Amino acid sequence: MRVALAGNSRRPAARTAERIPWFDTMVLPSAGVLAIVVGYPVVYTLVLSAEDYNLIGTTPPRFVGGDNFAKLVHDPTFWQALGNTLVYTFGSVAIAALLGLALALLTERASGRAGRIVRALLLTPWAVPFVVVAFLFRYMYLQNGGAINALLLAAGVIDTPISWLNVASLALPAVMVTNVWAMTPFFFLLLAAALAGIPNEVIESARVDRARGWSLVVGIKLPFLRNALLVGCLLMIIANFNDFAKIWAMTQGGPGYATTTLVVYVYRQAFESFAIGYASAIGVVWLALLLVFAFAYLRALRVR
Amino acid sequence: MHGSRSARRRSLAVAGVLMLALAAPGGAQAADKVTITFANWASAEATTKPAIEKVIAAFEAAHPDIVVKSEAMSFSEIARTLALRVRSGNPPDVAQLAGNDTFLIAATGKLEPLSAYIDAKLESQIKRDALTGLSYRGKLIAFPWTLAPAGLWYDKAILQKAGLDPQRPPTTIDELTKAMAAIRKSQPDVIPLGLDTTNRPFALQSNWPWMATFGADPLGAQHGDSAQMKQYLGWMRDLAKNRYIDPGRKIGEFRPLAAQDKVAFIWDQVLLQGVIQNANKMSDADFYQRWGVTTQPAGPTGKSFSFEGGHQLVLFADSKQKKAAWQFIQYLATSPEAIRDYTLGPGASLPPLVKMPTPELEKKLDTPIFQAFTQTIIPTVTTPPYGPAFASASSAIMAGVQQAVTGSEAIDQVAGSIQQQLNRR
Repeated sequence: MRVALAGNSRRPAARTAERIPWFDTMVLPSAGVLAIVVGYPVVYTLVLSAEDYNLIGTTPPRFVGGDNFAKLVHDPTFWQALGNTLVYTFGSVAIAALLGLALALLTERASGRAGRIVRALLLTPWAVPFVVVAFLFRYMYLQNGGAINALLLAAGVIDTPISWLNVASLALPAVMVTNVWAMTPFFFLLLAAALAGIPNEVIESARVDRARGWSLVVGIKLPFLRNALLVGCLLMIIANFNDFAKIWAMTQGGPGYATTTLVVYVYRQAFESFAIGYASAIGVVWLALLLVFAFAYLRALRVR
Repeated sequence: MHGSRSARRRSLAVAGVLMLALAAPGGAQAADKVTITFANWASAEATTKPAIEKVIAAFEAAHPDIVVKSEAMSFSEIARTLALRVRSGNPPDVAQLAGNDTFLIAATGKLEPLSAYIDAKLESQIKRDALTGLSYRGKLIAFPWTLAPAGLWYDKAILQKAGLDPQRPPTTIDELTKAMAAIRKSQPDVIPLGLDTTNRPFALQSNWPWMATFGADPLGAQHGDSAQMKQYLGWMRDLAKNRYIDPGRKIGEFRPLAAQDKVAFIWDQVLLQGVIQNANKMSDADFYQRWGVTTQPAGPTGKSFSFEGGHQLVLFADSKQKKAAWQFIQYLATSPEAIRDYTLGPGASLPPLVKMPTPELEKKLDTPIFQAFTQTIIPTVTTPPYGPAFASASSAIMAGVQQAVTGSEAIDQVAGSIQQQLNRR
């Protein structure tokens, strides 16, 4: 019985259906739309990255080959932006995933009305638009009149208010806290669903084997959550790599370049300096990095 | 049956004739009407939206052959949007611009030179200074709509509470620093100085006079790492260290606080009065009793400076309705209705005219605030080297200012990094 089931589950559905060759052509309209909407901008960005092109000014675009990339290598702001992007992305995703996991495990047994209310409350931050979240935290972080400083002062933790978003060493962590607050419900939702999917028989048999508490989580539950965690993390890494709204609304990449990420740097180059060629070169590097994560995501899906 | 069919035909014919009769004159009118597009942020902001809509309606009533289609855009996005629209061959006919944005769009070469439109009579009505700053590569590319220089506003009650003379605001940087120390000590919940230290071209425009009073000129003969620039950066760091400024706030975020008496000095434009009164409903008399405005306290150069943050109107070279567009521009800048309802309205600024068109408007300008701006502050206006280079430099310079204000690196290092960034452009 078990062998038969395993055999059925491994047989791809497509192979059981009769293949109708002309059905393949049905994908052409979608492929055409994708070629225009995705393909053209990507190719045009590659072309622009090899040009000296300023949107303002009357000089026509000039082919410069790899000059923009050579300039990138010697641009310390680019490297700082890349470093900030990696810290922001991986730091936020790691912390949010851990918090989401902890919350999912803690609320696993919560049932009834109270359980539903707790789950609904935990999901609330996910429902708030990111720009609203960013502005809320921006005002909470204010040196004068901010709620966070007021709380810390009242609790005696600090003597003088801290300008959270305007101290170079604190700004990035402060923005990351906001990001973690907004992202944790995603992991909570994903992992709570994955936890609910663990067969009762597995948990029961583990209990029979005297697995309890931490050993049950580490030995039984976490292996079941691995795939969900992996896919969730990859999705959020891609999303955070592109995160513009929160950072722009809170710090605009400042103070100095302390919270400037690649996307903010591209925006400044393209729409403040109007250096479209150089901005495109940064965009190409950014795209290459994103492709690595997208490839990892696709592999993870295939492995599942 | 036959009778009812013929009756139906008759009624259809009558309806058709009636429709034609009704539509014909309207159709003829529609064909004669000219539509111009007006890109602006006045209709995107709650404070000024009703006023600009009223002015546009008045213009359309006075010019029944012209329809104005207002396109609302935010102040911070208008230059980007217009640059892209110019590149894609779809600019509006007229646009409201300010500061560096005017010169940024002029650099595209797509603004109509206006010298040929201005006759001797109109030229004599406009303040000379208002026009001279609006040329790009030898061509007049914009028409002044409002004048809005910045001055040092001071809350007299806060000064008095700090033991300072409210009738004698600081005239030097040293006096200002001492006054801020007294304010910080006596009223810890008050921000001593409202100064925009964000990283955007407007912030550089706003900080340019402060750099100038220290003798710094990061885009000119003095570089970003000059001794004068370092002195300015050092002063900014001291301001932040002593909590005299609240870094990272846009100037617009200080205004509501000023309306709640939480800001002692604020480096802001003439429009501040309108914003404060709009927020706290203070009467004119109360406002003049509470607030004063003066020139920037002089730094080591011994000179005070200001920046002109007024708004201009530009006409696009690709406009198909240049005549109507020019009529609209003239109306906005010089008509009594536009001056009364918009220029001196909620966002109170100064009109660019030498003499007001009516005694009523002349009287409206006779206030201590307008007089201070006209007589003492406008003569200190300095124009930064506007253009595309200013835009790309603003990010480098203001990032450096932020590093000085909020970081711990040595000032020499910060100034060096500004110059490196400027060299790399």
